[in-house]
Formats: sequence, C-alpha cells, structure tokens
Amino acid sequence: MKEQIEARPTFSRRMVRILLLAMALPLAAQKHATPAASGPPGAFVDITARLGVNFQYRASHTSKKYLPETMGAGVAVFDYDNDGRLDLFFVNGAPLADPTPKGSIPQKSGPEYWNRLYHQKPDGTFEDVTEKAGLQGAGYGMGVAVGDYDNDGFEDLYVTAYGGNKLYHNNGDGTFTDVTQKAGVGGSGWSTSAAWVDLDNDGYLDLIVLRYLDWDFDDIWCGEHKEGYRAYCHPDYFKPIAPLVYHNNRDGTFTEVSQKIGLAKPGKGLGLAIADYDRDGHIDFFVANDSMPEFLYHNKGDGTFEDVGLVAEVAVDIDGRTYAGMGVDLADYNNDGWPDIVVTDLANQRYALYQNNGDGSFTYSSLIAGVGQMTLAHSGWGVRFFDYDNDGWKDILIAQGHDLDTIELNYPNLRYREPMLLARNTGHGFTDVSALSGFTQAWVSRGLALGDLDNDGRIDAVVTTNDGPVHILHNETATQNHWLLLKLVGHKSNRDAIGAEVTLVTAAGSQYATVSTASSYLSASDKRIHFGLGKENTAQKIEIRWPSGIRQTLKDIRADQVLPIDEPESAPSRP
Amino acid sequence: MNARKGNPRVLLGLAVAWFFFGSGSFAQSGADFDRGMAEFRAGNYSSAAKLFASAETASPGTTDALLYQAKSLVHLPDFPGAEKALRSYLSSHANSSDALYLLGFVLNRQNRPAESLETYTKAAAITRPNADDLKIVGLDYVLLDDYADATKWLERAVAFDAKNADAWYYLGRAYYTKSRLIEARKAFQAVLNLDPHDARAENNLGLILESDAQPDAAIDAYHKAIAWQEQNPHPSEQPYVNLGNLLIEQGRAEEAIAPLEKAVALAPNNAFCRLKLGVYYHKVGQLEPARRELERATQLDPENAAAHYQLGRLYAEIHALDKARAEFERTAELKSRAASPKPTSPNP
Repeated sequence: MKEQIEARPTFSRRMVRILLLAMALPLAAQKHATPAASGPPGAFVDITARLGVNFQYRASHTSKKYLPETMGAGVAVFDYDNDGRLDLFFVNGAPLADPTPKGSIPQKSGPEYWNRLYHQKPDGTFEDVTEKAGLQGAGYGMGVAVGDYDNDGFEDLYVTAYGGNKLYHNNGDGTFTDVTQKAGVGGSGWSTSAAWVDLDNDGYLDLIVLRYLDWDFDDIWCGEHKEGYRAYCHPDYFKPIAPLVYHNNRDGTFTEVSQKIGLAKPGKGLGLAIADYDRDGHIDFFVANDSMPEFLYHNKGDGTFEDVGLVAEVAVDIDGRTYAGMGVDLADYNNDGWPDIVVTDLANQRYALYQNNGDGSFTYSSLIAGVGQMTLAHSGWGVRFFDYDNDGWKDILIAQGHDLDTIELNYPNLRYREPMLLARNTGHGFTDVSALSGFTQAWVSRGLALGDLDNDGRIDAVVTTNDGPVHILHNETATQNHWLLLKLVGHKSNRDAIGAEVTLVTAAGSQYATVSTASSYLSASDKRIHFGLGKENTAQKIEIRWPSGIRQTLKDIRADQVLPIDEPESAPSRP
Repeated sequence: MNARKGNPRVLLGLAVAWFFFGSGSFAQSGADFDRGMAEFRAGNYSSAAKLFASAETASPGTTDALLYQAKSLVHLPDFPGAEKALRSYLSSHANSSDALYLLGFVLNRQNRPAESLETYTKAAAITRPNADDLKIVGLDYVLLDDYADATKWLERAVAFDAKNADAWYYLGRAYYTKSRLIEARKAFQAVLNLDPHDARAENNLGLILESDAQPDAAIDAYHKAIAWQEQNPHPSEQPYVNLGNLLIEQGRAEEAIAPLEKAVALAPNNAFCRLKLGVYYHKVGQLEPARRELERATQLDPENAAAHYQLGRLYAEIHALDKARAEFERTAELKSRAASPKPTSPNP
C-alpha cells in the first residue's frame, strides 16, 4: 500500500538531469565558426492584417472534448505559381456535431471551414485565391505537405485530415486538381504530418504520412467528473497506428509500401522531419510520437528502414522517459556538419534537444544547451531551427500553448495560451530572447512554417492557432549580417531537390543544411535553403550533394542574393 | 461500537489504533488471557499472540483472545495470521464490528481491496465507521485505481475528523496522483497545520512545486522535509531522492550525490533510488559503480523501462554490445506495453 500510494504519478516523475557535462562542454562548434556571444534580439512584427490575410481556423469545440479539437492545423509557405514570391496555404477544420456519432467523417459545410490559399501579390500583400485554385478542401483538416511529385516544375499539395487525405496536383495555371483517387493516396484514419521525400533515390518524391491514433468519436470522459473540468483524453487511452508510406510509381499513381520497407511500426505520430543523420548518403527521418518512444528511421540503403531511436538515444529523454512528442526539426545547430534534433513536448517535460555525436548516436543536450531550463513550463508544437539574425548560428522558433484548455485549473503556473518562444543560439548555447523579440502575445499556437516572404534575407514565420487566427510574423531584426538563399532545382534528382545536402563555407566557418519542406508540426516551409553569413560578404565555397549522388561545388558566391542552382548532369565545379 | 469508544489509538504504519487497544467490556478470564493483555500493553506482541492463542485453546469461543491475537499479529506484522485469527473469531462472533473493521484493514494491507471493501460494508451495517475506517476505504479504492471513489471517501474521512492528519495526507496523495495540484496542496497544508513539521507533507509539497515548474521552491521544501525527519528513527528516502533528482536537473550535481547516496542507504531495495544513483555515476564517468547500481535497479524492478534503458546506455559505452542490445530490446518491449490503451472512464 505504502509503495503504491507514495509512488509518483507517471506524469510528473522528475527526470534526472546530470549536468556535470555542462561545466566543461560548450557546443562542439568552436572549430567551425566563431561563436556569436552577443547579438541583437529579434524583432518580429505581426503584420497579418496589413497583408490582407484573415484566415480563421475552426476547431468546432464540443462538450465532448473530442481530441482533434485541440490539435490545431498546419500551414504551408510555398511558391505555387513560380513568381518568386511565397504564397500561403492554411488547413481548416470542419463542423462537429455535439455529440458526433461514432464512425462519422466530418465534412466542411461552408466557406468558414474551407482551407485557404493566399497568393502574394507584387506589393507584398495577399489575395485569397482559394476558389479559383479549387482548394476549398474536404474533411476535418490537419496537415499539409508540399512537393513537386511529378517533376513538372510546380509545387503540389497533400492535405491530411481525419478520415481521409487529399492530393492536389498543381496545374501550373493557378489551379489545382484533386487527383487523390487516381493517385491512390487517400489513406484512412487520423493523418497528421506528412513529408515528400525521395526514399529510394529514383528521382521522384515519395510520400510519408503519419497517423496519430486509432481513434473514433467515442464519448469518453477524461479529467475530473465535475463541471468545467472535462479534459481532452491522454493518448494513452488509444492504440497507436502505423503510418502510410506511398511509393511514387512515376505515372501519377502511388503504391503503399510501409510494410514492405519496414515502416509499418505503429506509432502516435505528430511530427516528421528528414535528414541524413549519419551522412551515409541515404535520407533518414525522425517521427515525433506522442507519449511513446520517438522513432529515428535509419535508411539501410537497400530500400528498407529500421527504427534505431533507442540505440541512437533519441527515443526517450535523458532519464529514459517518453514524452509528448509534437513537433520536430532536424538541422545542424552547432555547425559541426551533423544534423541535430529538436522535439517539442508538453510542460514539465522540457523540449528535447539531441546533439548528433557523428557516430550514429546522439547526446540529450537540452540542459547543456539551455533549452531545458527555458522550456520547463512551456508546451510546444511547431518548431524550426533557423538563423533569424543571420549570424551563422541556427536559432530555434517554437509555437506554444498547452493542449488542455483546463490546464490552469490544476496547474496554476502553467498556461493554455503562451507566447512564442525564440531561443537564440549564441554558439555556446541557447538563450531565451522571446520577450525582447516581440513575442509577448499569448496564443494557442500549433502549426509553424518559415520562409522569407519578402526576400530580404531575413526569415519570416507564419503561425496557426487553435480555433483562432493565423499570425504572419515579419522578421525586422536590425542586423547588417549577410545571407544567402539557395533555390536548388533537381534534374536527375527530384526537381525540388528535397534531401540535397548543402555545406556552405565562409572565412568564419562552415554550415550544413538539408533541403526539405517538411518538419515542424503539420506544416510545410519554403524549400529554399537559408544561410546567415554574419560579417562575411562572400561564401568561399558551397558544396552540394544531390540526392542522385552528384556532387557540385560552387566557389566565391556573393552574399545577399537568392541564388538558383541547377543540378548538373555530372559533377562539375564552377568558379 | 461502545467497546471502541474512548480507547487510545496508536499508529502502525497505516494501522488504526483502536484495533489494538479495543474493547475491554467483555468479561475475560484465565491466566493466559490476562498475561497476554499485559504483554500486549507492554508492546510484546509476539508473546502476547502466543498467550492469546493458548487462552483460546483453553476456552474456545468464550473470550476475545482471538481478536487480541489478531491485533497482536497485526503489530508484528503478520497479516495472514491476523486474518486467520479474525475469521475464526468471527465464526463465533459474527456481529463483532471490531473484528470486521480490523479484518477490512488486514485485507487492505494484504492488497485485497475488493474483499476489504466487502468487509467494511458488513462492518458499517453494524456500526457507523469513523474517520480512520473511511480512510482505509479510500485507500482500498486507491488500490483499485479508482481515484474518484478514493477521493470521495478520503474527503468524507477529513469531513468526519478534520484533525486526522493521515486522512489529509492520503487525500493529498490522491489529489496529486490525479494532477489536482491545487487541492493536493491544500490537503498537505492541512497536514502541516496539524503538525508543522510533518516531513511527508512537506516532501509532497516539494513534488507539487516541481510539477508546477517551481524548482527552487521545491528544493527548499525537500531540505525542510529532510531536516524535519532527522530525529525520526525511521527517516524516509523520499525527500533525499527527490532532492538529488532535482539538484541534478538544476545543474547542481555536486550537491546531488550526498542525498542520492543517503536515499540508497535508507532504501537499498528501492529501484528508483538505485536508478538515480546509477545515472549519476554514469554521467560523472564512474562506470563500475554505475553498472552496479543500474543492474541492481533492474533486478529490483524488472518492469522499469527507464532502468533498462540506462543500463543499455552504460553497456553500449563499455562496448558490451550484446548486453546493450538486450537492454534496449527490453526497454522497447516495456515502452510498447506502456503505450497500449488504458481503461476508459465511464461517463457520470
């Protein structure tokens, strides 16, 4: 009896955080670039209304607290018409009856529930072109993935939902066609984040679609049995479910291959990010699972994958505990040439930062790097590494807000609505510069996508909120630092060059990045690679390893430009 | 019920004192019984139990010898023996609420909550339960993982007797387990109002402060709890392990080793303490002590996924790769089991 009642509840057992490492270990990056110990905070200004974007996400809250109501939806930042200006696509929900009968597939009932496509005009403002584009959508939407799956030069959209997903082919004339049925990618169940990536390096993008839970509209009461205390159910109440993985048949159709290639392990997937974490030439990916071990899928190079999360020490936290994995990003934050991982989760869990050791394993670095302390009381969803001040060090931006709208009833120090978190990378660790950078408004943030909306070299952010408006956060950080935006165009590789690895070298050091539209939470970001160059006005060298295996080197590249780079036929170097 | 009224009560862990100094209104006789009572009052429970057994043999069913034998056995503690004596006593004293309440308690201590509740129900039909009885009923529901009913009965216990510190404490634990931190904090504060140096309550306030992202205040609470239990002949390992844990989290590892070692010294068979100490040794590069502690943790609690994970990490570091793989596989198996659906709660 004593043991039982005195056992700490699962939700709050504290993790051991041995920090002796912190005494001696700054980020392992000094040999690669000069740390920027001091620098400006960001200056992010919400210019949503000024730009003419008035999208409102509809969650359709009910008294039954159906879980999809609190999960939010994604956003895509992409250039659908190739005019050089980024456009926006927002996913929306659908009406829910209260109660909703078990087995229901919610459907959009009117314009207020439509997904929305906003086209950026030459003056930088946006216009709603949803109807013209034919992207009103269907169902209770969740996520969006961007990729040119047929290599025709125009970005296509895959939109996930509860109850079935949609593939929209970009016709190149401002319209899209729903090709879901023909392509065979409708799926089923509750889909969340998706990613376009060429898993077998055949030059065509395949599609990974995570699913969250084996879930239905059951009337399950969670939380206390008193008025106002009913809460959204913990995922432990539901079974995990396998993802869907579609191989591109190169003829506009796809074949579901999750079982065949070793990706049928059931999970509770919410976030998805890609990178070749072991630099073996084969793209890998990470799945952020909610309250079960995270998956790190290693590409074995023979067309199959295996989960190495536990062995690589990224499946759990430093204490061996699972956490509520939500969003994820894979990028080299310490400029050592190896992609690292950040995963968001709920308050009292601390966001997980894993530093790549370069030997196939990672070190849980949340505390060493300062992320643990600054995130203890926060709940995160969309997350991206990015260099907001162009100092050559990738910072972290996180969309925050608890999943439980009742959280404050029992946890007076936690909040349902939270400001965004901006963690500045000093080269020695991360510091919280959120409040100094304009992030003071508390939102129930969920999706997050990045892109340089005005092509000024400073990366902007777009954030969705649960049952609320979106926020376009213009980066107005005062800095004279230089930058480069690289737009890679594959020819032998997939046209988006997704999976290409880019190493940029300046006099200050080197940086590494992977082309991707995926990562974060339910969202898709601009595929262009962004580098901050600090005081350097020239990149001495840019090395690209294309998914095809072709290597390309560019030298002495002038900073402060958007640079298109075409994949060569072989492996030339050009001055 | 009259026999229970007014008798002194002492605690034995969760025990309710009236069980041991209960009814004195029955006419008792015989030298063994009288000697048994003397031994019982002197706290010599083993010899008391034997004397009561002899008294019962001499005059079967005519005295309360079996009831007192049971009370003596509870003190030892020998709950199966106590149950046997009580059931024998009840065969000739079917309406003894004292015996039924004590049997309910004994069944609770044997982790048989459903039978305990059934027995309490029978007892309550004869005599109205008091706060301690309600407390044990609440703890039966804790064992059944029914926290709604557990809190209901524990709340009734403190309503019945607002000065019952134990009932407040367990009510606080029940609230805490269900993440009702504000109410839990009030319950533990009620304990502290009754006993300003109650280390258990202060330790739990520390846990609440940790859960509410107030680590500095939590560290203060653990330090207080440790100070307050210094004079206790049986101090708890809990504030030590909680403090060690949190100090490490706060980057104060050099302060953590002492409380963690103390926790293991106090509770050498507590897997959680061993695990924390093992992780500490691993991180500071003391691999052999780390291996020893982590292996012990997995032996003590083979279902502890975190312990297997940490041991796997250690084995990997010392290149015992087969062992590492086995530990990671065990971790995955346990985590997979933990992720399977939990029972759902019925709607009110």
